[in-house]
Amino acid sequence: MAKHTGRGLAAIEYPTGMNQNGDPSQAWIKIKPDGRVDVFSGTSDIGNGSKTIQSQIVAETLGVPYEWITYDNSNTDSSPLCTGTFASRATFVAGNAVLKAAADAKQKLLEIAGKELEIAPEDLEIVDGEVLAKGSPQKKIGVPDVAAAATWVHGELITGTGAQLNPYAAIVDPETGRVDSPPHAAISYAACAAEVEVDDETGEVRVEHLWQCFDVGRAINPTLVEGQIQGGALMGLGLAVLEECYPYYPSVEHRGSEFGSYFVPGINELPKIDTIILENPSADGPYGAKGISEMANNPQPPAIASAVFDAIGVWVTELPITPERVLRALEQKARGPRRDGKWAIFDEDLSVNTVASKDSRFRFPVGA
Amino acid sequence: MKAVGARLPRYDGVAHVTGRTQFVDDFRVPNMLWAKALRSPVDHAAIKKLDVKKAAAIKGVHAIVTWEDVPRLVYGHLEALGIPGDEPLLAKDEVRYKGQPIALVAAEDEDTAQLAVAEIQIDFDERPALFDIRKAADPDAPQAHHWGNWYPHFEAEMDVRQIRKGDIDRAFDQADTIVTGVYRPAAIEQLPLETQTALVVPEPSGRLTIYSCTQALYFSMGVVAAHLEWPLNKLKFVGGTVGGGFGGKVDTAAETVSALAALKSGLPVKWRWTREEEFLCSSTRAPWHMEIADAVTKDGWILGRRMLTLHDSGAFARFSPYGVTKHSFHHTGAYTIPNLHFDGYCVFTNRVPTTAMRGFGVTSVSFATELHVSRVAEVLGIDPFELRLKNANRIGDTSPNGIAYADPSTVPTIHAIADAIGHELPADYRTMNREARGGDLLPEHLVAQVGKVDH
Repeated sequence: MAKHTGRGLAAIEYPTGMNQNGDPSQAWIKIKPDGRVDVFSGTSDIGNGSKTIQSQIVAETLGVPYEWITYDNSNTDSSPLCTGTFASRATFVAGNAVLKAAADAKQKLLEIAGKELEIAPEDLEIVDGEVLAKGSPQKKIGVPDVAAAATWVHGELITGTGAQLNPYAAIVDPETGRVDSPPHAAISYAACAAEVEVDDETGEVRVEHLWQCFDVGRAINPTLVEGQIQGGALMGLGLAVLEECYPYYPSVEHRGSEFGSYFVPGINELPKIDTIILENPSADGPYGAKGISEMANNPQPPAIASAVFDAIGVWVTELPITPERVLRALEQKARGPRRDGKWAIFDEDLSVNTVASKDSRFRFPVGA
Repeated sequence: MKAVGARLPRYDGVAHVTGRTQFVDDFRVPNMLWAKALRSPVDHAAIKKLDVKKAAAIKGVHAIVTWEDVPRLVYGHLEALGIPGDEPLLAKDEVRYKGQPIALVAAEDEDTAQLAVAEIQIDFDERPALFDIRKAADPDAPQAHHWGNWYPHFEAEMDVRQIRKGDIDRAFDQADTIVTGVYRPAAIEQLPLETQTALVVPEPSGRLTIYSCTQALYFSMGVVAAHLEWPLNKLKFVGGTVGGGFGGKVDTAAETVSALAALKSGLPVKWRWTREEEFLCSSTRAPWHMEIADAVTKDGWILGRRMLTLHDSGAFARFSPYGVTKHSFHHTGAYTIPNLHFDGYCVFTNRVPTTAMRGFGVTSVSFATELHVSRVAEVLGIDPFELRLKNANRIGDTSPNGIAYADPSTVPTIHAIADAIGHELPADYRTMNREARGGDLLPEHLVAQVGKVDH
């Protein structure tokens, strides 16, 4: 009876944007008479931070302070379409839409500024809320003054619109699954190592340490990216060792119906988490960003399950890895894979070949 | 100051942590009614009788909505992607899962609405229920769905999502070892702190203002418009600030029925699901069943993969066929495997329909394939870092459906983790990179895998 420590590794990838694409986002921007910026986007912020990320993209693109941005995603009368906040698309797809809207507004702003400064718009840039002549930054006008001039002198409204649509990638051959164009906006990658402690008497698995590296393309806001990665780690830990709707799956009986009867990770389960952000910029993402929000809970379950094997020498392939499953696996430890010629066959008792009727459509060819 | 790359404060962070953010349930309007649902108490049954007269006569009850009040009863969330509708907004002549909504009562308070729900007269004729997806194709399996027990409407009306690449039989012949395993991640709850909630206000203009916790304002507006057979200009969705979604609020769960109750009563209606309803009646992440057989060489090349996936969709399709397709596209994970034979089925059961959750379709396959790769390394006696690096996606390698990878990072992310935990790698593994294959890393079985990167 003892506690055993083990480590496991997982490496994963995940697509940005809806599978097969075809998921537009649109945005528009207007600039108030004092130069402050109103962004209208239909992206729901579900806690992912898209209000912040999209505001940062607009501030960067326009060259004005973040504090000047008002972000409005509150209703469908004023905001245009966003397909939605899912599929890791709010930074990449919707972020590209606000980037294009900001670039469009910037162009109109520079045209007004050019009239005020009597300099061609292409010879101007915007830095920290001021329009400067490239190479002669003493020739300048503040963005608030440009907006005022647009309103009161030129009779113009400075606006910008933008839309992002990666075209739908049709499955041209359903026999093979071949598609006619990339079925994703980008792909992100991650690797994770887990260290666990397993008590071979109680069967309890304690996740002690997670090391995680995510290729985010570009961290628009490193604090929010770390939040996604660390929050995702806790959800992945829940998937791995705690959570299940159906304790006797496939039976539907004895479902937990309250927080007291459904186990999610709490502060007591928080492991040490090391986060490494890798930036391999995406050619098409806003400032190189990719979407990593969903995949943040994907690498921990296999890394933790591999670490359990490293600790106690048994594979638990049903999630969550409960004490009951650990103890049952330890009881059956001697079994290992069945060898049949060059085949190493695991988990036969779980297979459709064992559970389903011999006449079932669901069979899996195993063995020599 | 540069905005991109800066650790700027969250736009709405202070309001969130000081409790000042307004979520749907914080909105109250004059004359607002409260709604409660009658839900199926059984897993699978024919409805023999549904009579709301007694419930409707209760003082304080203003409207009871049933299937008869829905202009378009069946609308599939992904009809635009070719996935036909299968789920009635409210049950008509049968129920297929415990918790399925049958009627909605709008009354002056929640207690009255709940009392009226209990007074709705309903009789069931119970049917056998199907729960084990592995037995769904057995000759004596109960029928869970009118399409049959698995989804039959993939492209060309195929009933299976297939990936085929290379020559799987040759790979299995050439292999030194074949490792098989079975992987079964569980259903879990999305568990947002904000339960499914909607407030619908009939406006003097004849429009409806719908306060919604949806993850997708326009998507959900489209769903409501389809059921009501209304143009979009008669609807206004208000939302955009969501108290947790994690995928579960891609389902438009409360808005449409609440809208019908508001139209029928002529008054604003709020329907907020209880925590118990959120646990037991809202959709979950799907349980999956995955079987893998990898054909490998003794020096650690993965030549081929056979895979069978059964996805437990619950009682209706919702987004499940999309999830199975996404799953199939990623069943080689972060590695390049030249010979593939994948079959994925979207299987119906008599449990709560499953839906999107963070990592939809791929969380399952990442678990299965990564744990399997660890097992392959163990069976072969090869370092799990080295086996992964050797087979890693590299620029120009092609995906299961033939697309060349533009910027894969399997190698640098694994290197970063090896460094972080102090795992020593041999020099030839330490110096690997993500660039296109060549030399020892381009064995004969991978020559045909290298394609042209298409941005």
